[in-house]
Amino acid sequence: MKKKALAKDFYMEIRRSLGRFLSIFFIVAIGVAFFSGIRATEPDMRYSGDAYFDEKNLMDIEVISTMGLTEDDIEAVKAVDGISEVEGGYSVDALCTEGDNQVVVHVMSILPTMNQVQLEEGRLPEAEDECVVDVDYLNESSWEIGDTVTFSSGTEDEITDSLKTDTFTIVGAVSSPCYIGFQRGSTTIGTGSVSAFVCVPDESFSMDVYTEIYAQVEGAKDLTAFTDEYDNRVEEVLESVEAIKEERQEARYQEIVDEAEKELEDAAQEVADAEQELEDGRAEAEEELAEARKKLEDGQAELDEGKSELESSKEDLERSRQQLADGQAELEQSAEELNSNIDTLNEQIDALNQAKEQYNALAAGGQTDDTTLATMNALYAQIQEGEAQIARAQEQIESARSQIEAGQAEINSGWEQIESGEAQIDQAEKDLADAEQELADGWEEYYEGEAEAEQEIADGEQKIEDAKKELADAEAEIADLDHPKWYVYDRDNLTEYSGYGDNADRMRAIGEVFPVLFFLVAALISLTTMTRMVEEQRTMVGTLKALGYERHSIAAKYLGYALLATVAGSLFGVLFGEKVFPYIIITAYGIMYQHMNVIRIPYNLEFGLMASGAALVCTLGATFFSCYKELKEQAAELMRPPAPKQGQRVFLERIRFLWKRLNFSWKATVRNIVRYKKRFFMTVFGIGGCMALMIVGFGIKDSISAIAVLQYEEIQQYDGNVILNEDASEEEKAQVSRELEEDDNVAGIMEGLLVQITIGNGEQWEEVYLNVPSDVDNFSDFVVLRDRVTKEEYALSDDGVVLTEKMAKELDLKAGDTVTIRDEDKGDLDVTIEYICENYMSHYLYMTPSVYEKLYGEEPEYNSICYRTVDRTTEEADEVGTQILEQEGALSVSYTTDLKQQVDDMLESLDIVIVVLIISAGMLAFVVLYNLNNISITERKRELATLKVLGFYSGEVCAYVYRENIILTLIGSLFGMILGKILHQFIIVTVEIDSVMFGRNVDVSSFLYAFLLTVVFSCFVNGVMYFKLKKINMVESLKSVE
Amino acid sequence: MEEFVKLQDITKIYKMGEVEIRAADRISFSIQKGEFVVIVGPSGAGKTTVLNILGGMDTATDGKLIVDGEDITSYNSRKLTGYRREDIGFVFQFYNLVPNLTALENVELALQICKDPLDAKEVLEDVGLGDRLDNFPAQLSGGEQQRVSIARALAKNPKLLLCDEPTGALDYNTGKAILKLLQNMCRERGMTVIVITHNQALAPMADRLIHIKNGQVSKMELNENPMSIDEIEW
Repeated sequence: MKKKALAKDFYMEIRRSLGRFLSIFFIVAIGVAFFSGIRATEPDMRYSGDAYFDEKNLMDIEVISTMGLTEDDIEAVKAVDGISEVEGGYSVDALCTEGDNQVVVHVMSILPTMNQVQLEEGRLPEAEDECVVDVDYLNESSWEIGDTVTFSSGTEDEITDSLKTDTFTIVGAVSSPCYIGFQRGSTTIGTGSVSAFVCVPDESFSMDVYTEIYAQVEGAKDLTAFTDEYDNRVEEVLESVEAIKEERQEARYQEIVDEAEKELEDAAQEVADAEQELEDGRAEAEEELAEARKKLEDGQAELDEGKSELESSKEDLERSRQQLADGQAELEQSAEELNSNIDTLNEQIDALNQAKEQYNALAAGGQTDDTTLATMNALYAQIQEGEAQIARAQEQIESARSQIEAGQAEINSGWEQIESGEAQIDQAEKDLADAEQELADGWEEYYEGEAEAEQEIADGEQKIEDAKKELADAEAEIADLDHPKWYVYDRDNLTEYSGYGDNADRMRAIGEVFPVLFFLVAALISLTTMTRMVEEQRTMVGTLKALGYERHSIAAKYLGYALLATVAGSLFGVLFGEKVFPYIIITAYGIMYQHMNVIRIPYNLEFGLMASGAALVCTLGATFFSCYKELKEQAAELMRPPAPKQGQRVFLERIRFLWKRLNFSWKATVRNIVRYKKRFFMTVFGIGGCMALMIVGFGIKDSISAIAVLQYEEIQQYDGNVILNEDASEEEKAQVSRELEEDDNVAGIMEGLLVQITIGNGEQWEEVYLNVPSDVDNFSDFVVLRDRVTKEEYALSDDGVVLTEKMAKELDLKAGDTVTIRDEDKGDLDVTIEYICENYMSHYLYMTPSVYEKLYGEEPEYNSICYRTVDRTTEEADEVGTQILEQEGALSVSYTTDLKQQVDDMLESLDIVIVVLIISAGMLAFVVLYNLNNISITERKRELATLKVLGFYSGEVCAYVYRENIILTLIGSLFGMILGKILHQFIIVTVEIDSVMFGRNVDVSSFLYAFLLTVVFSCFVNGVMYFKLKKINMVESLKSVE
Repeated sequence: MEEFVKLQDITKIYKMGEVEIRAADRISFSIQKGEFVVIVGPSGAGKTTVLNILGGMDTATDGKLIVDGEDITSYNSRKLTGYRREDIGFVFQFYNLVPNLTALENVELALQICKDPLDAKEVLEDVGLGDRLDNFPAQLSGGEQQRVSIARALAKNPKLLLCDEPTGALDYNTGKAILKLLQNMCRERGMTVIVITHNQALAPMADRLIHIKNGQVSKMELNENPMSIDEIEW
C-alpha cells in the first residue's frame, strides 16, 4: 500500500514540476537527437551511396590494360573465384570544340548491365553516330541536344582508329555513377583535364580489343559500399584478379607477338617474292632490250643500203640529165643553123623578089630593047635559078626543121624520164628519212626503256631493301615489345568515389565532436537539475525516512523521475534525430553529388542505444549520487536545513583598491559567481558551446568565402589563363602574346608552363600543377608566394621548388624536404622543397626554368599565358579571353571567376549546415540558460524575496540576478570564442575537400554576430525569467529555511 | 500624540478555490510614533497577515492603512516597493542575510537603495558587532546574525521597524539580548518598533499590546510603564 502512495507522489511530482521534467526531457532529446542523428549520418551516407551504386549496378573491379583486353581476358577474369559478372568496355579520350574552347571529353561505351547511366534528358543513343553527354556539362556549355560534335584524337593517331565515325549527334543527357561529383578526371591530351564524359553505343567503337574490363564481386552488392566489409571483400577478389594478371599479360603479349611474327613472316615472304619477281623482271627486260636493239640495228643496215642505192640512182640521173642537156645544146645549134639558113634563104628570097620587081618593072615598062630584054632574060634566068635555089633551100630547111623537131621530142622524153627518176629519188629519200626517223625513235624508245627498266629495278631493289630493313626493325620491335601491363583497380579509381567516403568520414569526425559537446551539456544540465531536485526535497526525503521507508523506495522516486524523463527524451531524440539530421545533411551534400538521388536513412540502433545509454548513465548517475548523499544522512538531520554554505572571500578582494570601488551588488555578484561553481561552469560551458557552435557556423562560411578573396586577390593576381595550342606554330603562339600585350584591358602578361604532374613522398602520390614561370623576377606580380601565418613573401630561386600548403600537408612534407616527381618518360625525379606557400584552390608546385631544366634535362616549353586586367573585373577578363580565343595559337582560357563560382557553390551547400548549427546553438543556449536560471532562481528564492522586502524594485532584483547572468554570459562568450576558434580549426580541416584548402580565419564580424546572437538568446531567456522573478512572493522570505 | 500608523477595517481574504479564508477580518488599530508595539496571538491568528500588510508586502482586500499620513492601501506595487525601501525596516525570524556578503556588506545592501541612510559601520557597532564587520553570516552565531539583520533594518533609518518573531529561532538568552536591543533602539532613537510574536511573555515590555485572534483584534492594551526586558522572564 505504501508503494501506492509513493507512486501517486511520483506522478504528482511530475505534474507539479512539469517544467523540470520537460527540461530534462528536452535536453536529453536534443542531446540524443544530435548525437545519434549526426553519428547516424555517417553510416546513412554510406547506405545512401551504396543504394545509389547498387541501383546503377556499379562495377566493383576495373581492369585496364596498356594493350587492350581480349575476349579471352574476359573469360579469364570471369573464371576468377569471387567474380560474378564481367563486362568489357571501350573508352577513349578525345578533343572537341565547345564554343571557342577546346575541351577534352572521355568517350565511353555504354555497358550492357553495369555502370548504368541515368538518362536525365532526351534519349539514349541507338545509332552508331549518336551519343549522350554528361548532363552537368550539357547544362553549363553551349551544347544542346540535337547538336553534332566532332571528335579528334589529340595525338598523332586518328580518332577513327578508335571510333567508327568522328561526328556524333547528341541525343540526350545522362549522369553516370562513375562521376558522382563535379570532377571528371585527368587525361594526357589537350588541357590535361577532362571536362565531360560522353557515352556512345558499343558499336561506335572500331577497336578490336576492349580497353577495360568491368567486374562485379560476388556478394559485394549485399555489402555496404565505403565500409571495411565491402573493401575487404573486394580487396580479396582483387587480389585473385591480380593473381591472373601475370599470366594474362603474358598471354596477351604472346598473342601480340605471335600476330606480329606471323605478319613478319608474311612480310618476309612478300619480300622474297618481290625479290624473285624483280630478278625475273630484270631478265625479261634485258632480253626484250636485246631484241629491240637487234631490230634497230637491222633497220640501220637496211637504211644505209637504201641510201647508197639512192646515191647511185641519183648519179645516173645526173648523167642522163647531162646527156639531155648536151642533146639540147646540139639541137639548139642545129636550130640556130637552121635559122641562119632560113635567114639566108630569106635574103635570097628578098633578092629574088627584087629581081622579080625589076623584071616586072622592066616588063611593065614595055621596053623591048634588048638590053632590056637581055637584061630581062638574064633577070628571068636569074629569077628562075633563084626560085629553084629557094625551093631547094626550103626543102633543106624543112628537113632540118623536122630533124630538130625529132631531136627536141627525143630530148623532151628524156627530160620526162629524168623527172620521173627524180620523183622516184625524192620518194626514196623521203622513205629513207622516215626510216631514219623511225630508227631514231626506236633508239630513243630503247634507251628510255632501258632507263626505265633500270629505274624500276633500282626501285624494286630499294623497296626490297626498305622492306628488309622494316622487317629487321619489326623484328627488333617484337624483340623489345613492351609487355602489356594490367592495372586492376577497385572503385577508388573512380573520380570522387572515395571523396564521398571521405565526406562520410568527415561527417564521422564532426559527429564525434559536435554531438559530444551537446551531450556533455545535456548531461551536465540533467545532473544539476536532478541534484537540485533531490536537494529541494531534502525535508521530504527526511520525512519519508523518518516514516520508515527503505532507502531504495525513496531513491526510486527520483531515479524513476530521471529514468522516465531520460527514456522518453531519448526515444523522442532517436526517432527524431536519426531521421532529420541525416536527411538534412545528406540533402545538403546532394548539392555536391547532384545525381546521387537516393537517400537511405534507416534507424541505426547502435547510435540510438549508445546515446540513450549515455544519457541514462548521466542522469541516473547524477540522481543516484544526489540521492545517495541525502539518504546517507540521518532523518533528523535531513529535517533541519542544510548548513549554509560558507561565504567566501574571493581573489578580487585581495586587490583592495579595486574591491573598494565595487559596490556591494557587484561584490555579491562576484562572490556568487565564485560560490556557485557548478553553475558557473555550466553556464560558461553552455554559453561557450553555443557561441562556439555559431562561430564554427559563421567561421566555415568565412573560411570558404575567404578562399576567393585570398586566392584571387592576394595570391593569384591574374584574371585569366590562356592555354596555348600545342599544335600551333611558334609564330601563332607569339601572336597570342602580342595580341594580349596590345589589348588595352590587359595590364600584364606572363608566359609559363602549366602542366599536371604526379608528385609523391614515400608511398603516397598526388596530382599537382607544375607551374614554371618564364620570368622569375616578375612572377610575384602574378602569383604571390608567402607564408600563411607570417605573411613573409618568398621568391622563387634556383635552389629548390615551392609547394603549396595543403599538398605539403597531405604528403607530409615541409620546407627542406625532398619531393619526388613521377614522370612517365624520365622516371622519378627528386627535388628539394625550399618553401611551403599559402594557397587555397588546387595544388601547385612552382619552380624556376633553370630548376626545370636541371630536372628534366630540357627547357620548359611554355604552354600558357596568364594575364591580369587593368581593373580586374570579370567583364574585362571575359572580353580579353573571348578575343584571344580567336587566335589560332590559343587553345582555351580559364577565368578566375569560374573558380569563384565553384567557391559559391560550395558555400551554398554549407548554408544549410550553418543554419542547422545556429539553430542547434540557439536551442542549446536557450535550454542551458533557462535551466540554469531556473535553478538559480529557485535556489535563491529566499534571498530574492528578502531583497524585495528590503524594497528593491523589480528591476533592481532582476539586475541583481542578471548582473550575474551577464557576467557569466560574457565569460561564456569569451570561452566560446576560444573554443569556437579551436573547434573551427578542427572542423575546417576535417570538412575540407582534397583540392581546396579553406581559409583558417574567422572574421571579427563572425565573432560579433555569434556574440550578438548569444546575447539575443541570453536576453530572451532572461526576459522569460523576468516574469518568473516577478512572481516570487515576498512571503517566501518569512518561511523557514528548507 | 497623533496616530502615526492607523489601520482601519483591514480585511484580507485568501481565495482557495471555492473556499474563502479571512486571514484578517476588519482589523483596526493605531500606533503612535516612537511606541514599542507587540502584537501577540496564537499561530494562524492573522499576525503575519497584518505584518505583511503593514510592511507593504501584501495588499489588503479591504480597509485602509495610513502610515505617517500616507494612504498605503492606495499604493500600486511600485509605490509599495518605494514604501518598503524608504519607510520600513524588516527583521526576519530567520535573519535572511545574503550569505555571500559580509555583515557590513549585508547592511550596505539595504543602504544603497535608501535616500537617507545611517552609517553602516556605526549601526553595526551600535548593535554590538563592531568587531565582526567582515564576517560572513555563516561565520556568525544566530544572535549575531539577527543583530546584523536588525542593523540592516535600522540603518535604513525607517519610519517603522517590523520584527517577525525576531527571537523565534534563537535561544532564550540571545532572544532576550535581541529584544533588549530592539527596545533600546526604540527608546534611544525614538523608532516605532512593531514586534510580532506568539510569546505572551513579551507583553509587559510593550508600550502598546495588541492581541489578535481569529483574524480580529481581540484586545488592545496600553502599558503606561513598560518593563525592561531584563525584568521579564519566561
